[in-house]
Amino acid sequence: MAGTGAFGYAPAIALFPLVAFVVALTFGKYMPKRGAIAGILATAGSLLLSLWLLVTVAGGEVYHETLYEWAAGDVLTEAGSNGIEFTFGLLIDPLSALMLVIVSLVAFLVHVFSLGYMNAEGETGLPRYYAGLGLFTFSMLAFVYADNLLMAFMFFELVGLCSYLLIGFWFRTRSAPSAAKKAFLVTRFGDYFFLLGVVAIASTFGTVAFAGENSFVVAAETAIENGQTLFGFDARTWVTITALLVLGGVMGKSAQFPLHTWLPDAMEGPTTVSALIHAATMVAAGVYLVARMFGYYALSPTALTVIAFVGGFTALFAATMGVVKDDIKQVLAYSTISQYGYMMLGLGVGGYVAGVFHLMNHAFFKALLFLGAGAVIVIMHHEQDMWKMGGLKDKAPITYYTFLAGALALAGIIPFSGFWSKDEVLYDALIVGLEQPVILVAYAMALIAVFFTGFYTFRMVFLTFHGEPRSETAEDPHPVGWSIKAPLIVLGILAVVAGLVNLAPLAKVLGVDITFLEHWLDGEFGSVEGLTYHAYHETVAFEEGAIGSETVTMLLGAGLSLGLALAGALTAHTLYNVPEPVPHKERLGGVRRTLEANYYQDEYQVWIAERVTLPVARMADRFDQSVIDGLVNSVSTASLFGGSRLKRVQTGLVTNYAALLVAGFIGLLLLLGTLGGWFL
Amino acid sequence: MMIEALIAVALLGALVTFVAPNRIAGKLAFAISLIPTALALWLFSAFDGSGNALLGGELAFSSNVEWIQFGDYTISWFVGLDGISLPLVVMTTILVTLAIVSSWTPIDERESQFYGLLLFIEANLIGVFAALDFFVWFIFWEAVLIPMYLLIGIWGGPRRKYAAIKFFVYTNVASLVMFGAFIALVLGLGDGVTSFALPEIADAMVNGGGVQTALFGVDPGTLTAIVFVAMFLGFAVKVPVVPFHTWLPDAHVEAPTPASVLLAGVLLKMGTYALLRFNFTMFPEQVEAYAVPIAAIAVISVIYGALLALAQTDLKRIVAYSSVSSMGYVILGLIAYTEFGVSGATFQMVSHGLISGLMFMAVGVIYNVTHTRMVTDMSGLADRMPVAAGVLVAGAFGYMGLPLMSGFYGEFTIFFGAFGSELLAYSQVFTALAMFGIVIVAGYLLFALQRTVFGPYHLETDYEIGRAALHDIAPMFVLLGLIILLGVAPELIFEMMKDAVTPILETGGGL
Repeated sequence: MAGTGAFGYAPAIALFPLVAFVVALTFGKYMPKRGAIAGILATAGSLLLSLWLLVTVAGGEVYHETLYEWAAGDVLTEAGSNGIEFTFGLLIDPLSALMLVIVSLVAFLVHVFSLGYMNAEGETGLPRYYAGLGLFTFSMLAFVYADNLLMAFMFFELVGLCSYLLIGFWFRTRSAPSAAKKAFLVTRFGDYFFLLGVVAIASTFGTVAFAGENSFVVAAETAIENGQTLFGFDARTWVTITALLVLGGVMGKSAQFPLHTWLPDAMEGPTTVSALIHAATMVAAGVYLVARMFGYYALSPTALTVIAFVGGFTALFAATMGVVKDDIKQVLAYSTISQYGYMMLGLGVGGYVAGVFHLMNHAFFKALLFLGAGAVIVIMHHEQDMWKMGGLKDKAPITYYTFLAGALALAGIIPFSGFWSKDEVLYDALIVGLEQPVILVAYAMALIAVFFTGFYTFRMVFLTFHGEPRSETAEDPHPVGWSIKAPLIVLGILAVVAGLVNLAPLAKVLGVDITFLEHWLDGEFGSVEGLTYHAYHETVAFEEGAIGSETVTMLLGAGLSLGLALAGALTAHTLYNVPEPVPHKERLGGVRRTLEANYYQDEYQVWIAERVTLPVARMADRFDQSVIDGLVNSVSTASLFGGSRLKRVQTGLVTNYAALLVAGFIGLLLLLGTLGGWFL
Repeated sequence: MMIEALIAVALLGALVTFVAPNRIAGKLAFAISLIPTALALWLFSAFDGSGNALLGGELAFSSNVEWIQFGDYTISWFVGLDGISLPLVVMTTILVTLAIVSSWTPIDERESQFYGLLLFIEANLIGVFAALDFFVWFIFWEAVLIPMYLLIGIWGGPRRKYAAIKFFVYTNVASLVMFGAFIALVLGLGDGVTSFALPEIADAMVNGGGVQTALFGVDPGTLTAIVFVAMFLGFAVKVPVVPFHTWLPDAHVEAPTPASVLLAGVLLKMGTYALLRFNFTMFPEQVEAYAVPIAAIAVISVIYGALLALAQTDLKRIVAYSSVSSMGYVILGLIAYTEFGVSGATFQMVSHGLISGLMFMAVGVIYNVTHTRMVTDMSGLADRMPVAAGVLVAGAFGYMGLPLMSGFYGEFTIFFGAFGSELLAYSQVFTALAMFGIVIVAGYLLFALQRTVFGPYHLETDYEIGRAALHDIAPMFVLLGLIILLGVAPELIFEMMKDAVTPILETGGGL
């Protein structure tokens, strides 16, 4: 049961933060930093163990073990197998080992940052905060190395709970609880489809395992090969249906259109929470799930096309909303939605490596940007409006330069990390798009979004850090301590260098072998069978085209996206990198209102909830009170005795009722006895 | 003799408490109630039964003594437990103990009678789950009504009389319908059956070819169908399923909190338990024939019940209607007629008992300190009572089926069992529709939490908010602990449930 070496300690990666959760919740009040120390130690432990696992996996070992069986039973499945087991188990392969490091690293840094961000402000409820972070880190890590779909779903839901609790951390306000509710409801709507997908997959194949001979991926392949009919559909159609059902959960968690509306509201939570949960990790859970079961999605070109299209559309859609936001966290929120769109696009065109690459880079640079925004908010005495900032670059150099590194990565400027991964996503989309028109459209949208990304990113940088201070607080910044600076520096370095792990364009041009991440995900160090890039790539049925040669296509694409990013940044420079910038929003004309209202997405969702569902519920209630209950009451009034007689029976004396009950019971016995002839 | 001891302790305890002074009745009843709880837990650990009690399984702790000769029929004191009934008995004893503790604060008149009735109801509830002779079972079944009627009628809210009478008359009429139907069935079975022992009747129905002779000029097939439908309706009122549910919100709203805990926690399970024991065990052919309408009723109960909960502003009504919704899942699991479906339904009975008990207790605590239950009357309670608010939030998420809490396991196994059901046509559609309940439940519970627990502190009533006592909070933590325990380690009871459920499915014409 227990693994050897590092793998034997693998469960502790998730369990450390769980212990921190319990400690913070029960003793946090009495502890010096209100539970922060427990959280820091726990996540540091998780990080060290995750790194050890990463090294072990690099050494060629992988781990796939069932640890706990929590239900098993007989069931005749649609595909013909018999029986099913629902288990908890760990799957540690290159993908999950990498993700474990990302999650535990960001969690650790956010815990450290919280010391400066939350503790210093004399917050009440800190034990609750650290307990929430601990429970979240536990759930997220357990989700990452879950070896089956049901376990993944369970922790997927639990991170949703933690998100709810932490968004609503400042529960005494009106807005935070409302945002928390919205976040949980919208993601739960997605999770409804996810759960239906889990149930459908389990009922179809009798297994929910991600990997191995008994996985639902292998079972689905077999069913397709054998031309089976599943629940009245041919096997591939059924795989598409179930894959799309699971995708519902993905779109909810990763905030993809049209389930993205909760994420900007989630900014009501503390900025540290936004960094950890709503940028780097939980939102990544959706995309990660697609990567985790990529073999299944690879079987369905339709599902992949949907993913790609939704991703491309979301990337553009969210980026355009980001350009008119005045709150620094709102800009980052829409940017997050947009960036996850890129990952979806990458995965949707079969670019498994590109998608995961961007997921990793984004986790670092977006956590950096959110924490940087947190630092700015501290500096600004809790002001988030960028129009009240300005000129911070000389007063807070470390915050500025790290933020700038994150911004360059986000905008996709060479050689920062975001450039390499975004470019790879776009390249993969382009070569597939050249043969599939639908995907070409998705590619085009994502490409246009590059311009907007460059624009809103640098608009944010210029408004916050450049120009003249536009308020008293901006002139008199609050100093920040090392617990805030240190995480920024670590993430700042990563935002610069993380791209080095997969320099695909350079590899092609120079012909050198420097695509480490691709080798890593392709199992050249070690992998679980079937879960490799090549295996996926062979299954994905997309044809790939090129403009001229591969290298030309690549250079063309990279040049185009870099040019657009620079154009966006330059536009922002012209408009906002001046001593006293003005909004320039009137130039948008009629589009402005639509953008500021976020395309009225919230309006129609609120309308569905408040103007459709609630009135229907009230109508049902009135129907229930008047018709159904009315019928019950009229029957009781009209029965046997008639109104007045019944009134006399209702004496209110309970002994009478008891006597009536007994009398009735005996009477009935006598009646039935006589009819049945028992007394003869 | 263990079951007899269990029932006797509760009965004697009820008598002792009745005559004890009001002052000590609460503590005395608590002390007494610990004995059945301990006994039940011991039964649980010493359980050695297997199979289904009605279908030739190995009974645990059984005794069978001839009691009355009634014409050609023998009535026996016949009790015993299997994997379906034992968890329900354990849950009952625990809930009664906790309900007694949660009464200490709100009940301040006629205490000895109140606590005596709680113990009396416990004795009868155990009897319902343990009895294997129809007459013994029916006596307990009916006897449950009296104490519950009194609890609502005496200690209830302003409209207690209306609610109590409605509860009593409605469920009693249903019982009579069911009773008449069952007697007709026994008569129809003719000479093959010489007692009211449920295993004998089940055997005659399943293996003996069922009703063979016409009765009152009704041919056997029609008679069986009528009996099935009549019994289904009789139990459906108890569950309750839509459209027989309207007594429930009235009863809950008026009932004192501890009575609500038992009403939602245990009394509703009497209905689903009886459905499983009678309809779904004895009538495999009719189950198949009526699968689609029953599944439709289940789905309607889930969705319609949840919509009704969404429209309420009284916390107790919200939880009451949500019970209708949750019990719909149980019916769906039963009609799936698969191992996971029926076992999941049985698991959900226990799980919902614990979770709804917790929710009613939490609402009770809120009422104790604020003197209101209206969502519109309060906000920001977490500011003044953080622990109670925390438990309420945890309970609400349990109700929403959060993983690692028991509700998720019950619902998931039901959904999984129902999706691939061979017996139920369109089972995938029914499952998908019923599952949407998990979105609506999140809607109304999160809405209620947002309004009451969170936001700036505000209270409409003139009442100065007090503190919840330890003995108000402690029972909720016990329930929360059990909910998480069963959510993490469902096999504790699921294994024995499966074992008792499988024989039922094997009778279903090789399904």
